[in-house]
Amino acid sequence: MLFFSFFKTLIDHEVTVELKNDIQIRGVLKSVDQYLNIKLDNIQVLEEIKYPHMSAVKNVFIRGSVVRYVHLPANAVDVPLLEDATRREAANQAGKGK
Amino acid sequence: MSFFGFDSSRHNPAATGFSQAHNPFAGLSNREDEGDALEFEETYDGLGDHLEETGDAFNDDTFGDTAGLDTGPVGKDFDFFNTTAKVADAIEEEHVRFTRQQPAARAPQPAAQAPAYAAPQQAAAGPSSYGYYPQPIAYKPARTGYEKYSAEPVAELQVDAALWGVAPKKQPRPQTVPAASPAPAPAAAQSRKVLSLEEVEAQMRAQAKKATQATPSPAPPAAAIPASSQAQVPPMHYDQAYQFQQHAQLQPPSQADHAQTDQVATHGHGHHVTILQRPGSKQAPSPQPPTQPAAHLRQQPSAQPTQILQNPNRLSGDTARLGMRQHPTPTMPASYPAHPAHRQQGSLSRQPQIITHPSQLAQLSEEEKAAYLEQEAKRAKRNHKIFLMSRDNGIMTPQDKSFVTRIQLQQLVAATGNPNDHGTDESLTEDFYYQVHSQIQGSQRQHPNQPLNNFAQTYLFQTGSRQGGMRRHHRGPENHMQRMEQQVQRAVEAAKNKPKNKQLVIEGSLGKISFSNAKTPKPLLNIKRTENTTEANRPASAHRHIAHDGDRKSDLRSIERIYTTLMQMEDNDRNMPPPPANDADTEAIQKFVTWNSEAQILNNKLWDCLRIHDHPDNGRVHPFIALLSYTKGMKAMQRISRHLTHEQRTTILTLILVNLDNLEVVRNAQVTPEVMQLNAAMRENVELFSVSVMSTLFTILNELDVDLVAGMLGLVCTRNVDVISKSRIGASMLTMILSRAEIIKHGGGGNEQAWRSWDATHTQFFDLIEPSLPHTFPGPVTTGDDIYVWQLLAALGIGASPDQQQRLVLAVKDRVMDTVALSNTLPQDLAAQRLQNVNLFMRSIGLDVELLQ
Repeated sequence: MLFFSFFKTLIDHEVTVELKNDIQIRGVLKSVDQYLNIKLDNIQVLEEIKYPHMSAVKNVFIRGSVVRYVHLPANAVDVPLLEDATRREAANQAGKGK
Repeated sequence: MSFFGFDSSRHNPAATGFSQAHNPFAGLSNREDEGDALEFEETYDGLGDHLEETGDAFNDDTFGDTAGLDTGPVGKDFDFFNTTAKVADAIEEEHVRFTRQQPAARAPQPAAQAPAYAAPQQAAAGPSSYGYYPQPIAYKPARTGYEKYSAEPVAELQVDAALWGVAPKKQPRPQTVPAASPAPAPAAAQSRKVLSLEEVEAQMRAQAKKATQATPSPAPPAAAIPASSQAQVPPMHYDQAYQFQQHAQLQPPSQADHAQTDQVATHGHGHHVTILQRPGSKQAPSPQPPTQPAAHLRQQPSAQPTQILQNPNRLSGDTARLGMRQHPTPTMPASYPAHPAHRQQGSLSRQPQIITHPSQLAQLSEEEKAAYLEQEAKRAKRNHKIFLMSRDNGIMTPQDKSFVTRIQLQQLVAATGNPNDHGTDESLTEDFYYQVHSQIQGSQRQHPNQPLNNFAQTYLFQTGSRQGGMRRHHRGPENHMQRMEQQVQRAVEAAKNKPKNKQLVIEGSLGKISFSNAKTPKPLLNIKRTENTTEANRPASAHRHIAHDGDRKSDLRSIERIYTTLMQMEDNDRNMPPPPANDADTEAIQKFVTWNSEAQILNNKLWDCLRIHDHPDNGRVHPFIALLSYTKGMKAMQRISRHLTHEQRTTILTLILVNLDNLEVVRNAQVTPEVMQLNAAMRENVELFSVSVMSTLFTILNELDVDLVAGMLGLVCTRNVDVISKSRIGASMLTMILSRAEIIKHGGGGNEQAWRSWDATHTQFFDLIEPSLPHTFPGPVTTGDDIYVWQLLAALGIGASPDQQQRLVLAVKDRVMDTVALSNTLPQDLAAQRLQNVNLFMRSIGLDVELLQ
């Protein structure tokens, strides 16, 4: 649940989602669910020349499985906290594995 | 005569046709010849007598919105339409009479009316001018409101609206009203009086005479009309039709009323009007729905029209509407004040319109005509669209909506699982980042003990806060929210109590159905590992073999253990019980003691992890000092110091000072005037160290007294002062210690003996550092970034004796002069910066760079 938990805090921040088909979409993260499906608002495709069919699209729902990367806004990430959260997650997983 | 509250004094009663206009039974006189006259009593079923005239407040509830949906059997008692239909002919005749009796102004009309009168037999197929137009929606020839746009208007057929501008509102329609209207509007009721049959007959005779005098040829209509036993078309012009259509479109909720009204209004055309409305509403009532509201509505026009006619805006601005008004269509005025839709229509028609009457079209050019028609078509289309969209208006009540929202919330709670199942700690582990992040960012909650873990709670919290204070004051409408919250709480409770079956085995089935939710996804892999294999499979290094250290991996592992312990301590802190208020509260005391011992255990664990008291083998770096060469080790310092006691902190500071020249950021970050910048990674480390560790140490040092500070400086003297002073961190550390002593001195702290020991240590230290001073500057004079050295020099200078000050000046004289010389070549702000740095030192020994320039 770490990533879900993490992405929840990025709601209403601008992120760039890079899909597995190389399209990069920048937009405001509106919601995310446990499958890391992503809803973006006010989107803009980074290489608009290359993907003209996307230029009219204003918001998207992205299935989590097709996301390659999410470029995060650095100032919205609390790194020490994320580190701690990661530690907890690791401890959880280790605990569950037993 | 003031039959319907119509103020006849405002009009010229002598105008031709006027007096007939409001004789409701005028048409009957024609019937007498044929022996076909209707008895008043026949047309009146007496129902109206039983009704309360004023009790019409709930008519809408009874007959209004639900009329179209109501499929239940409708008793014949309401069948006013049939009653009305019985006198339809009379109404027809009356209408024709009226139109006939406008002689002068109607000059072109007789010709135009002829076809209309000839049409009655086909009336059902397409009355008068409407027959010219295609009906896009209705399958039967009916008016759709679009007719006028698809063909040239036929001017001859039109009644010039100007005619009606002065003509009084006539009231021929409501003949049946006395019978069918149980609830007239108050205004109407006032001036209305019910006539006896005799009176009516007397009037009819009088009117007939008048009419004969006034109209040269009243016979033709009279003769023609009886033939049209069925629907006779009143010479309605387009506008009327248009208004009808518009009316129907704009008023879905009260459609039933108006359907009926229109039917009554157009007497014989009830059938057509119904069809006309069908395209507008699938729920259009059958031609015989309850007519009571309609009758009620029809009552009002008698009072209303005068008022409307007097409105100068309408008189000037909307002749079309006026024309329609004067036609026997009481619908609009009747409901005008009552229905918002009508207001809307009113505003629509009040929009500036160049052409208010189709007859004016004839005078326009082709282009203008086309433009006008196009515009009109657009408007009609828009109105139609609005109507179509508004069809579903009001289907759900607010209660319905909140009910649906509740259901959705319940499902949400069920779908996301119930985080309350787990304890606070566990939900924190599951959703740690979000929880803490929102605490930090939003700081919505005062204490982490009350986490709003679950989605529903968060959701409600937000909605709750949005409506915040309002809710407290206005109980009524906010009740839904409260109920919703309670509902969700109940749902959460129920989910909590529900046995947590992860699987469902249906009897007779071959497999199991496993449930999953957001919190516990359906496990795709379920590998069971026994305890012993787990242990055996673990890499044998790990924590059980701490002893062999010094390599990076074990260092990092130690740091992780520190972090784990820190998190445990922080969790423990969160669960700190309130300190017992008094001695009597044994339970609280017990709790507090338990918590304290727990905290103590964790503190010991952390202390062990730090390995402060380890004594490394010869040549090895102390394990704790080694930890400080890793970024995450440095970052941990602040958190560590929060959880330590004063003694422990002092111990750490001591340890660091004892190993100051062994610190990686000191040992590997040596800079001299000859050696240029450090590499990027080391610069970052130095930066991080000064941010995270130095600040912590500074805090610790500020708690110390002068004897301890002297001790610290003494410790430094045992180390390689040269190495220390040539690094940024080392120099800053020295500055810290020296300035702390100065601050204590200025504060008047410390005793004589302590100061004596400090002075001794200081002298010793000065002797040690003096040879290194010229070499402590990083890089050549041009590099800048040497402020920390000037700070150190200043700290030294303040506490120095005059002799020492002399030695200081001698040691760094070259650098001072170089900097001053360089600053002359630099831009002003840069130069000022550099000189300011130098001045830090110069001022400390009572000099100033100004003296050198």
